[in-house]
Amino acid sequence: MKRKTSSIDKGYGIFLIPGIIAFLIIIIFPFMINLGISFTMWRGVRAPVWIGLKNFQTLIQDSVFWLSFKNDLILLVAMTVIPTIVGLVLATFLFDYITNNFGQNVSSFFRAGFYLPQIIPGAVAAIVWEWILQPDWGVVNYVLKGIGLSSWTRDWFGNPSTALLAVMVVLVWVQVGYPVVIFMAALQRIEPELLEAASIDGASWFQKFYYITIHLIRPEILVVILTTSIYTLKIFGQVYVLTRGGPGNATSVPSYYAYKNFFETQQVGYGSAISLAVAAIIIVLTIIFINIQSRQEREESV
Amino acid sequence: MASGRHPVTKGVVRWIVLIALSAFLLLMLMPFIMVAINSVKTEAEFAQYGPLSLPHGLNFTSLIDFWNRVNFSQVLINSTYISLTVAILGVVLSLLNAFALGLGKIRGRVWILIFFLMANFLPQEALAYPLYYFAKFFHVYDQAIAVILVFMVIQSAFGTYLLSSVFSSFPRELIEAATLDGCSKLGLLQYIVAPLSLPTLSVLFVFFFIWTWNEFFLPLILLPSNANQTVPLALAVNQGQYGMNITAQSASGLLGILPCIIFFLIFQRTLTRGITAGGIK
Amino acid sequence: MLLKISRLLSIILAGAMLLGLAACGPAATPTQAPAAATSGPAAATQAPAATVAPAQPRTLSLWYYEPPDGALGKAWAAAQTQFQSTHPGVTIKFELHTFEQVQATAQMILNSDSAPDLIEINKGAANAGTFATEGLLTDMTAEATKRGWDKILSPSIQATCLYDPKTGIQGSGNLYGVTDYGEFVMLYYNQDMFDKAGIKVPTTADDLYAAADAFVAKGITPFATAGAEYPAQQIFYMLALSKANRDFVTNYQLLKGIDFHGPEFTYGATELAAWVQKGYISKSAVNMKAQDMQNDFEAGKNPMMMGGSWLFGGLQTAKLPFKWNVELWPGNTISPGSGGNLWAIPAGSKNKDLAYDFIDITLSKPIQTLMGNAGGLPINADTSQITDPQTQQFNKLFTQLVASDGIGYYPDWPVAGYYQDLVSATQELMNGTKTPSAFLDEIAAPYKAALPK
Repeated sequence: MKRKTSSIDKGYGIFLIPGIIAFLIIIIFPFMINLGISFTMWRGVRAPVWIGLKNFQTLIQDSVFWLSFKNDLILLVAMTVIPTIVGLVLATFLFDYITNNFGQNVSSFFRAGFYLPQIIPGAVAAIVWEWILQPDWGVVNYVLKGIGLSSWTRDWFGNPSTALLAVMVVLVWVQVGYPVVIFMAALQRIEPELLEAASIDGASWFQKFYYITIHLIRPEILVVILTTSIYTLKIFGQVYVLTRGGPGNATSVPSYYAYKNFFETQQVGYGSAISLAVAAIIIVLTIIFINIQSRQEREESV
Repeated sequence: MASGRHPVTKGVVRWIVLIALSAFLLLMLMPFIMVAINSVKTEAEFAQYGPLSLPHGLNFTSLIDFWNRVNFSQVLINSTYISLTVAILGVVLSLLNAFALGLGKIRGRVWILIFFLMANFLPQEALAYPLYYFAKFFHVYDQAIAVILVFMVIQSAFGTYLLSSVFSSFPRELIEAATLDGCSKLGLLQYIVAPLSLPTLSVLFVFFFIWTWNEFFLPLILLPSNANQTVPLALAVNQGQYGMNITAQSASGLLGILPCIIFFLIFQRTLTRGITAGGIK
Repeated sequence: MLLKISRLLSIILAGAMLLGLAACGPAATPTQAPAAATSGPAAATQAPAATVAPAQPRTLSLWYYEPPDGALGKAWAAAQTQFQSTHPGVTIKFELHTFEQVQATAQMILNSDSAPDLIEINKGAANAGTFATEGLLTDMTAEATKRGWDKILSPSIQATCLYDPKTGIQGSGNLYGVTDYGEFVMLYYNQDMFDKAGIKVPTTADDLYAAADAFVAKGITPFATAGAEYPAQQIFYMLALSKANRDFVTNYQLLKGIDFHGPEFTYGATELAAWVQKGYISKSAVNMKAQDMQNDFEAGKNPMMMGGSWLFGGLQTAKLPFKWNVELWPGNTISPGSGGNLWAIPAGSKNKDLAYDFIDITLSKPIQTLMGNAGGLPINADTSQITDPQTQQFNKLFTQLVASDGIGYYPDWPVAGYYQDLVSATQELMNGTKTPSAFLDEIAAPYKAALPK
C-alpha cells in the first residue's frame, strides 16, 4: 500500500518547470532588483547610488507612510470582511432559495448582475461614483434631502472624516460580486445527498449552513479571504482615480505613496523601499494563511 | 422540508423576495445606467440638466468622436488579443502548476505555493522599472507579447492557488484507479483531472480575461505607442490635463464596458452549462 | 429555450460590434486634418516654395497630447499640413497621446527606441529638467540662435525652455525645449450676472472685494474654484503675488530660498482662508475638480472665476447663454502664467533637421495667427489679424502681461511632486483643519528639502 502511494505521488515535479521558469523571469528577478534598488538613491535613468539602509530609516519615521498603512488596514474591513460575508450570504441565498423557487436562469441572471461592477474599468467606476456622491447635485445627497434627512448630507469625498468611508463604499460595490461567483461555483461541489440526509435528521437551515456548507467550501472561503486581503494591501488604482490620496492624506495608501515616489518625484529608491515594506507584510500574512490552510487539509485527509 | 404552509402565502412571499432582490440589484447597477444615459446626451444637455436626467433623444456624436479619435477598432483588437491569450495561457499554466502542487506530494509544497503567490505580493508599481528594462533588453518593449507574458504569470498565481486548493480534495480513488490502469501522469491530467475541473477552469478563464482587460498600469508602462494600446489606456484620452468632458467620458466608458459585458454574457452560459453538466461524481 | 435565445443574443451583439469595426473605421472628420492613424494628413491645397525632395523617403515621428479640437491642436494640424507641402518626400507619423501617459512614462519613452523624433513634453524641473539632467534631450541652444528663435521667445517666456543640465532647475542654462504658445491666469466674469445684480465689473482690488461682498449679500457665491486640482492653489499664489515683486518670484522659482512666513505668502494663505470664511468660495469646492469649476461657471452659479487661458477656447465653443469676458486679475501686476509646454527632441533622434523645420513652422506668423484666431495664446501672432473682438482682447491681455514683465509662473514649479503637496495642504486650509501658519509650514517642508546644499 505504501509503495503504491509513493509511485502515484511521484513524477509531478516536471509539470512545475514551465511555471517556475516564467515566474523567475517575470516576478522573482524583478523582485530581487527591486530589493537591490531599495538600498540606493536612483532617479530611474543613470546609475543608482548606494546608500545602504537610509531609505528604510527614513521610512520608519515617515508619518505619511504610517498614515497610509493605517488607511490600508481600515480598507481591509471594507474589501475583505464585508464582501466575504455578504458574498457568502448572497451566494447561498441565490443558490438555494432563488434556484429552487425560480430556476437556474434567474439565479444566474442575478449572479451576473452582481458581478458586473467587477467588469467595469476602475476609472469609469470612479467617475460615476464621484457623480453619485457629489455634494451639490449627487444622487445620495439629493435623496437624503428629499426624505428630510438634510443634516445627513456630507461632502463625501472632500471631508477628511468621510472620504475614506466613501472610498470604502465604492470598493465594497466593486468587490461584492467576486465572492458571489466563487462561492456559487463552490456550492456546486456539495453533494445534495449530504444536505438531504441532514434535513432528514432534523437539522435546521442554519445548522446545515454552518456545519455542512461552510465546512465543505472552506477552501474557497480561505482563498477569497486571502486574495482580497492581499488585493487590499496592494490597492492603488481606485484610490488614484477617486481621490489621489486626498483630501490631505486621508485616503492615501502605501501603494499610492510608492507610486508618487516612483513617478512623480522620481525617487525610485525610496519607492522601492515602500513597496518592499508592503510586500513583506503581505508575505508574512500569506505564509500564516497557507499554513493554516494546509494544516486543515491534512486534517481532512486523515 | 417545508412545513405545511398556505400555498398562496408561500407564493406571495417568493415574489416579494424577488422584487426586493431586484430592487437591490438595480441599486447596484445604477452606475452603469448612468454611464449609458449620459453617453447619448449632448454636452449642452449635460451642462443644463445634470447627470441624472434622461436624455432628450439619442445623440451619438460623443460615441463616434471618441471611436475615431482613438482608432477604437485597433484598440479593441489589441485588448481582445491580449486578454484572450492571457486567459488561455494563464489557465494552462495554472493547471500545470496546480496539478503538481495539489495532487502530488512534493516536498516543500507549501513553500512552492508561496513562491507562486509572490507574483501577487509586490504592487505593480514596484515591477514597473525592472520589467521596463527587461523588455528593452529582450526587444519586446512596446509590444503586446511583453504584456501577455507578464499577465500570464500574474494571473496564474491566483489560478494556481485556487486550483491547487480545489485539487487537494480531489478523490484519490480516481487517481489510483487510473494509475492502476496504466495511465501516465500526462494522461491523468488530460483525460481525468482537466475535464473534471472544467467548472473551475471556466471560472478562471472568465476572471483572467476580465482582469487583464481592465489592467491599466503595466500596459501604460510597456505599451507607449498608440497602435499597441488597450482599451483602458484609450479611455484615458478624455481625462486631459485641463479638465474632462463628461458626455465624452461616458461615451468612452460605455465603449469600454460593453465588450466585457458581452464576453461575460456569452461565457456565463458556458459556465452554467459546465457547472451543471460537470461536477465530480 | 431562454438559454438559447440569450446566448444567441449575446453572439449577435458581439458580431454587431465586430461589424461595427468595419463600418466605423477611422474616417477623417472635417475638423481634424490628421486622423489618429499612422499615415500622414490630407494633401496640401497649395504649393509654396518647396524644398528639394530628399533621395530616399524619410519619416518624422511626432507625438503630442493637445486635443485636436483645441486651439493648439488646430494650429499644429495646420503645421503638419504645411510641413507636408514643404517636405514632399517625408511622411509624418503622428500619434495623439494623453497628458497622463506622458506625465508618468515620458522618461521611459525617451530612454527607448520607441521615442519619436519630436515630442511635446511638460515644462518644469520635474519633467523637462529631469530629462535634461539625464541626457535624454537634445540641446537646441545653437540651433535656436541660428534660426532666430531667441528673438521670438521673450526672456520671461524662455524661462520654461532653459534648464541647467546638472541640476535640472528651470529658468537658466541650455535650451532643451521650444514653446510656441503661452498661458496665464486671469479673471473670467459673467457680465450678465453683474448687470442683473447691479454691480460694477471690478478693475481694482477694492472693486473686486466690493463686488464679492455684494454678491455674498445677495446669496450668490462670487467665485467658482476647485480644491482637488490646481485652481485653489492658484488663488493662494495670485493673492501672494499681489504683494510680491519680481525678485521674490525669481528667488522662489529658482530655488534660491524665500521666507514662507514673509508678507507675500502669509497674505496669500490668510486671504484664502478668509475667502472661505466670508463665503467668497464655497466649502464644497474643496473636493471639486477643475472641470467642476468650469461647469459651475458655465451654469451661471458663480459670476467670477480665476481661470487659466486654457479654459478660454472651451468656453467660447460652449456658446454660453450669457455675456462673459476676461480681464487681468485686478490688483496684480504679476499673475501666474508662463510659456507653454515644450517641443523637445529626444537625444537619439535621427531626424533632428526635420524636427527643427517643424518647430520653425509652428513658430511662424501664419500658424501663430491661426492659433490666436482659434482661441489660443500664441507668442508670435499678428494680433491685428485676430478677427473676434473677445479673442483679440484675450490676446492683448497676454501681450500686455508679457510686456510688463508680469509673468509669475506657478506655485508648484520649484519642486518635483510639489503639485500634490500643494493640493493636499490647500484642501486642509480650506477645510479649516489647518491654520494659515500651519499650512505655510506644511508647504515649506518639501521646498526646504529641495534646496541645493
